Amino acid sequence: MINQPYIIETFNLTKYFNRTKVKALDNINIKVKHGQIIALIGQNGAGKTTLLKILATLILPTNGTAYINGYDVTKDENAIKSCIGLVTGDERSFYWRLTARQNMEFFATLYNIEKNHAREKMEYLFNLFEIDNPDKRFQEYSAGIKQRFGIIRAMMHNPDVLLMDEPTKSLDISSAKNLRRFIKEELVLKSGKTVIFTTHRLEEIKDFCDSVALITKGKITACGKLSEEEIYKCLSEK
Amino acid sequence: MFIRKVTAFIKRDFLIETSYRFSFFLEIFGIITTLLPFYFIGRLFEGRMVSHLIPYGGDYFSYVLLGLTLSNYIGTSLSGIMGQINNEQSMGTLEALLITPTKTWHLLISMSLWGFVYNTAQSILYILFGVLFFGVALKSVNLLSCLIIFSLTIITFSSLGLLSSSFILVFKRGNPISWITGTLSGLLGGVYFPVSVFPVWLMNISLLLPVTHSIEAMQLAVYKGYSPLMLLPQIGILVLFSLILVPLGFASFGYALKKAKKDGSLLQY
Repeated sequence: MINQPYIIETFNLTKYFNRTKVKALDNINIKVKHGQIIALIGQNGAGKTTLLKILATLILPTNGTAYINGYDVTKDENAIKSCIGLVTGDERSFYWRLTARQNMEFFATLYNIEKNHAREKMEYLFNLFEIDNPDKRFQEYSAGIKQRFGIIRAMMHNPDVLLMDEPTKSLDISSAKNLRRFIKEELVLKSGKTVIFTTHRLEEIKDFCDSVALITKGKITACGKLSEEEIYKCLSEK
Repeated sequence: MFIRKVTAFIKRDFLIETSYRFSFFLEIFGIITTLLPFYFIGRLFEGRMVSHLIPYGGDYFSYVLLGLTLSNYIGTSLSGIMGQINNEQSMGTLEALLITPTKTWHLLISMSLWGFVYNTAQSILYILFGVLFFGVALKSVNLLSCLIIFSLTIITFSSLGLLSSSFILVFKRGNPISWITGTLSGLLGGVYFPVSVFPVWLMNISLLLPVTHSIEAMQLAVYKGYSPLMLLPQIGILVLFSLILVPLGFASFGYALKKAKKDGSLLQY
């Protein structure tokens, strides 16, 4: 399923939540090429996270579908999970009574990574993300470091696509900048990964993204290389 | 790979469990305080043969010890998966598990296994205390019968557990299966006393529950050495329950999982 012209494609992707009577996504059509960084921007509740969760196979769409690496999100769940890494801003997604290393070993097994390879990969990523001591209980790390572990976990199995839901939410300005540099230089330029991330920070898209998709009430209202002014204007117009 | 994943879950749960050291000691203390009241109740009947207990060896404490041990496993089978889903949901780790390329069934089985490991450690302690300090005799155990009854019990109640989990996935709280099975098993299943003490109409109701047959068969296999052939009626009933409940459990859970994914409520609790 490789050699697709687009690594991510969505076709009239629609999500309607019965319980809340909300149309979270309305006929979303996006195409993402290999090695691109795409920012999803929109107000709270616009549908950014729902889109990421559908791409991650955690939520089923009501209508339409999406393909990642040629795999259908509604049918090829496990194949999709092998080629994506999901980073959420939720630091609770680890076991706080375990050390960071124990957490990583556990998730490495679930990602089907062979034991020795997992160890090497962990050391490499710990160095890369400047983790001094991965043997402390997870609860003892600062929010910023916990966020780094979230990214390390998503990268453990070397996925082609990284889906990041507000990855810099808990990071200070300097750490956020470092993370963006890392994503661009190491993940995208060197390794050819594709990154889709959601953000509220307009400065994140400047000099960083190849494209921006602006989501308003479940619809893509603007897409492409938008300037800060254009985005601000679109967001103000709702 | 499945075995590696199962081992990883057991290791994870062991590390988390042992990180709460005080709770571990309380657990051992809890076993003694659970057993002691039954031991003293048993002493009330000392020297007398209670007709209802005669088919199972005659000793009340031995009867309860086995009933409690098996009912612990039954409890885990019923609520293990559901409890773990709830636990992972409230800790915030469920999404991180579901995003890994692990089949949902593998995740569910792996998640619930620690409960059985824990039960086994607990059961060993129960039986050890029983034999060493309370004079329980295990001379006539038929291991093959025990294994068959145990397996069928776990299969039957795990299927009921899947059915229960379906309610939790869809409604989040308020689970009639767990409530009915939990309440009726304790009262009518023969955990604390043989069902033969009931009036006929109540005994007939108790015979509709799988737990009644599991406990009766296990008592006969452990204390009277009944062979699988001698336990054929109970085995047959448990097989019948399994044949009905296994597909029902899997189908309902599959449906609930899909519904939760459609509703986007998989991670809500």
